[in-house]
Amino acid sequence: MDMLLMGACLAMFGIAVACLAFGAATRDARQAQASAPAIEKELAKAAASPAHFFVNVPAPGIAARPRVPIEVLLLQLENHVRLEQAAAECFLEAPDAARLRSRTTSPLVNWSIN
Amino acid sequence: MLQADLLRGLAEDEAERVLALGNRLVLTAGAVLFQLGDTADCIYLVARGRLRLTLPIQVASREERVFVEERSAGQTVGWSGLIPPYRFTLTATAPLESAVIALGREALGRYFSEHPETGYKVTQNLASVIGQRLQIFQTMWLREIERMVELRCA
Repeated sequence: MDMLLMGACLAMFGIAVACLAFGAATRDARQAQASAPAIEKELAKAAASPAHFFVNVPAPGIAARPRVPIEVLLLQLENHVRLEQAAAECFLEAPDAARLRSRTTSPLVNWSIN
Repeated sequence: MLQADLLRGLAEDEAERVLALGNRLVLTAGAVLFQLGDTADCIYLVARGRLRLTLPIQVASREERVFVEERSAGQTVGWSGLIPPYRFTLTATAPLESAVIALGREALGRYFSEHPETGYKVTQNLASVIGQRLQIFQTMWLREIERMVELRCA
């Protein structure tokens, strides 16, 4: 009788361990399935981000700069020449250093307008 | 036309005689009056409309005409016709229907040798037209140099 009870106890214990193990195993798989896209996103982010904390702003190369259509460039040049001629005529009417250095609104000289 | 910059200071009848030496040419919109490098036998007075003067430059491996200046009624174009080596240094195009009076170098030369006073006044006016253009372009060049220096020193 004692041996029968001991066997029954051991069987119950085994079943309990098997249930726990099964539960643990299935819970891991579900959690892994649920968290997989998040991990992939994080991995992609990590791979894309630089290895340092500051932000690298790449300097735009000549090829990366927006290209101005030739027709627009020619119009800008014409506008620039007209404005510069007008400025030169103003200078020649009453020559002084300030008039020589006067600014125009030409987009081709905007680099020098503060 | 009697008020044209080339005829300034001439008496009306005198100016009319000079104008009578020329031929009136009508240019349709887009017509080229002369090309850079062409032999220059005439000087032109703009009678009506406009003339665009351009120079060729390379833009993205294409040759494009870049605007240099514009002349309107009463102004002189193509003074290379009277100044050696008699080659046009710009291209002149009519952006709209225009008319010019073409004064031939030989006809003017003959008339001026018979009327030296007229020749002197016209030559003075021509020098004034050329000098004005020279001063304007000299100033434009100086402004560009100023900007370049400013950029280098910035």
